Amino acid sequence: MTANLTAGAIAKMLSGEVTGEKEMTPILQVTEIKMIQQARRNQELSVERYKVALSDGIQSQEGMLSAASNALVKQGSIQIGSILRLTRFNCSPVRNRRIVIVNEQEIIAEKCNIIGNPLQMLTPNAQSNSVASSPQAQVLQRQAFGTSTGSNQQQGTRTEFNGVASSAQPQAVQRQTFGSGTGFHQQQATRTEVNSVANSSQAQVVQRPSFGTSYNQQQATRSVANSSQAQFAQRQPFVSGTSPSARPYVSNSNNGYGSSRQEQTYYSRPPVQPQPPSMYANRSPVARNQATPMIIPIAALNPYQGRWTIKARVTSKGELKHYNKTHGDGKLFSFDLLDADGGEIRVTCFNEMVDKFFDVIVVGNVYLISKGTLKPAQKEYNHLPNDYELRLENGSTVEQCYEDDAAIPRNRFRFRYISDVENMESNSIVDLIGIVLSICPTGLIMRKSGTEVQKKALQLMDISGRSVEVTMWGSFCNAEGQILQSLCDSGAFPVLAVKAGRISEFNGKQVSTIGSSQLYVEPDFPEAREVREWYEREGRNAPCISISRVYTGAGRQDVRKVITQIKEENLGTSEKPDWITVTATISFMKVDNFCYTACPIMNGDRPCSKKVTNNGDGTWRCERCDKCVDECDYRYILQLQLQDHTGVTWATAFQEAGEEIMGMPAKDLYYLKYEEQDEEKFEDIIRKAGFTKYIFKLKIKEETYGDEQRVKATVVKAEKLDYSQDTRSLLEEIHKLRTETMNPESSNYRSSAYNSGMGTSVDVPRREFGLPAANQFSSDPRPLGGMILCGACGSNGHVFANCPSFMSEPQGQHYVSTQGRNTGRGMPRQHVGSSY
Amino acid sequence: MDTSSPSAFVNGSLMRRYIGQKVRTVIQVVGSDVGSVVGKSTDDLQIIVKGSPPTTTTPSTYLEVIGIAENENSIRAEVWTNFGNSFDPVNYNELCKLANGEFKHLFI
Repeated sequence: MTANLTAGAIAKMLSGEVTGEKEMTPILQVTEIKMIQQARRNQELSVERYKVALSDGIQSQEGMLSAASNALVKQGSIQIGSILRLTRFNCSPVRNRRIVIVNEQEIIAEKCNIIGNPLQMLTPNAQSNSVASSPQAQVLQRQAFGTSTGSNQQQGTRTEFNGVASSAQPQAVQRQTFGSGTGFHQQQATRTEVNSVANSSQAQVVQRPSFGTSYNQQQATRSVANSSQAQFAQRQPFVSGTSPSARPYVSNSNNGYGSSRQEQTYYSRPPVQPQPPSMYANRSPVARNQATPMIIPIAALNPYQGRWTIKARVTSKGELKHYNKTHGDGKLFSFDLLDADGGEIRVTCFNEMVDKFFDVIVVGNVYLISKGTLKPAQKEYNHLPNDYELRLENGSTVEQCYEDDAAIPRNRFRFRYISDVENMESNSIVDLIGIVLSICPTGLIMRKSGTEVQKKALQLMDISGRSVEVTMWGSFCNAEGQILQSLCDSGAFPVLAVKAGRISEFNGKQVSTIGSSQLYVEPDFPEAREVREWYEREGRNAPCISISRVYTGAGRQDVRKVITQIKEENLGTSEKPDWITVTATISFMKVDNFCYTACPIMNGDRPCSKKVTNNGDGTWRCERCDKCVDECDYRYILQLQLQDHTGVTWATAFQEAGEEIMGMPAKDLYYLKYEEQDEEKFEDIIRKAGFTKYIFKLKIKEETYGDEQRVKATVVKAEKLDYSQDTRSLLEEIHKLRTETMNPESSNYRSSAYNSGMGTSVDVPRREFGLPAANQFSSDPRPLGGMILCGACGSNGHVFANCPSFMSEPQGQHYVSTQGRNTGRGMPRQHVGSSY
Repeated sequence: MDTSSPSAFVNGSLMRRYIGQKVRTVIQVVGSDVGSVVGKSTDDLQIIVKGSPPTTTTPSTYLEVIGIAENENSIRAEVWTNFGNSFDPVNYNELCKLANGEFKHLFI
């Protein structure tokens, strides 16, 4: 309902025309309410009073409700938007301002939308417990300036001035403050804002030629406004409106030291503005005393600033790094700060400063920092949204704030949707939050520099319905990676928040961690709860589109399998070849044809390698290249029998793998055998190569030979077994298995658990290999679903003695010859963790 | 293989369970004295091994020691084996934990 507010009433009250109810009983609307404690002079107790901003739709004015009306406010009869008729009131100037003291009022409407566009700012401070935040944003103006100096305010708030300015009935509020104050409070004049305001049609600007003499500022509202109906604007930046500043109740937002002659009606919240005098009410004049810190928002830091202090929380602390450059060695560490306004900046300490501050800085604590040097930010390492970064020097001070400031958030995230990531550029930094759908075991990747690094990949899905592959590198794999792995293995789908992940293009888009990334598993943010709820509701069943084309070709992560799985899982039978990694021993090598004559002609950067035919006269002809060469290459084509604790398979190794296995180039071996006819040496070499354990990367594919389909395995890479690394993968599998047995519902890993479980449970049967009749698994204390598992091949349904794998070897006779080595079969594995 | 006196795999913190019994562990040599070697166990606790090592032990080599645990951080060694410099203590530590925990039945 629209009650009619008495327009112009406020103006009259301010100008002195109306001082009491005798002149008029205006109908006004409450636009802000704030409770203040006021210590009355003659009483010891402090009394609660409510300070209100009353508006007539055009302007608003500060007022105080009677103590008797407190109850009304408390019960909600008087709230923001309430319309009151002032039946007894007094309007008097107090310390150069006019305050309305409402002794009695009639409540016309309790709840109403704010009428008009009155501007005011009762409580500029976030800290104050003001109830008055005017519902309409425009009302609050905050000015943003890049370079304003600190007000002790701590808010570097930005004003949506423009918003106001352009609204229909703007009451323009201009705050002009310009550096009148001495030393510190300089204010950079917000000319800009003024202009914006000024341009609006009905901006009223009032000039008030006040100049802030005393150090406390004050602004001179030099209004620049050109618009016509200006209704003053004076702003006293009072900013601090701290209720605790116990001053006469009126003065809550006072401009302190009476320099302004303006009447205040609007208080703007000049964020960084003119020194809010009230601030000074609590502290000694800054002019003389450097001791009091002028806390400015991080966003306002700039190299031209004189003294400043920032109050912020450490969101992350980097590691201590050592470096050596041509001019010397040194050490450094950095940490990131976040303040109440969301401004972030990175701080770096070098050398002696490291010693001084490294132990002082703790993540999560709030510190007051000052006298650091501002430098331009190194964008490639520093992904915070600030053009500067800080360096602490000898004179810098870091002081811990013990009272925890709840206004300063712990973390600042700028989460994006995964669907947006798709369109973002590579190498840009992003924060993500979502559900982990799946996670792969840690793999080791060789970097170009030659070092190996750990890598763990997972699929993250979020509310946008898209998923992306998130890769973690290095220490993240062991820490958060392991936690996530255990969670996923036990069937849960944890929420993961990633801060500062880098987008890269590799099979679509992917996100990777960088040095300064942070991962939060199951965090306690509202966004996390949102994601979790969404997932429970619909995400579980929603189709998920991946923006990372996960393909198991080269992107394969070390899929570890045991040999029997090749047969069981019918690897290679699908259209694409399967790439797996196995740890196995060479149990046999066919020596008859270990190499072939190959064409050495280079085809791009690879030699043609096609088999060349002997022309009879010493030259060799290649069909593909259609040329004849005198000297052909010899390339390995080794037929190997690979064996692990579960089974045997044949594989073919070509040149590169062959060299690794044999330890010498094919040509040499060829000569050794054929030219020099050195049988003994040859056999020696062969023997040495056999029965060594390697990690093989196999490519499995089904191929057609005439009428027959055969699954062929090619050795793509053979690496000598690194026990350390292999043990770690085993450990992972053990852990996986353990969480498995604790949570039998999680189905995914069951099948792999069987076979990977072999790794541990087979310890028992292996010792009893010599007793084929025994059903080893009956001694297995951990029944894996009650199936009978064969000790030889790991498949279920039969025991060792009846194992069909005995029969199913290609070239059975070779297998027979290795029968005797059954006990040997177990041997290789026993090296790991044997307890003799 | 003589299995008459089996030794349990221990790391620093598990030793107390086997005081008076035969244990085996791997330590990284930190320093040596006359008649004893001070080492760091795979879980970063200090272990003192009494006896005489086969060769002069250089710090940071890994030694496997089999002997009787006298108290929770010292062993009277009977057998010393040099494991060299490249040894992964993390894996060994995990092994000790598993061998004394969930999979104890597989060992002793």
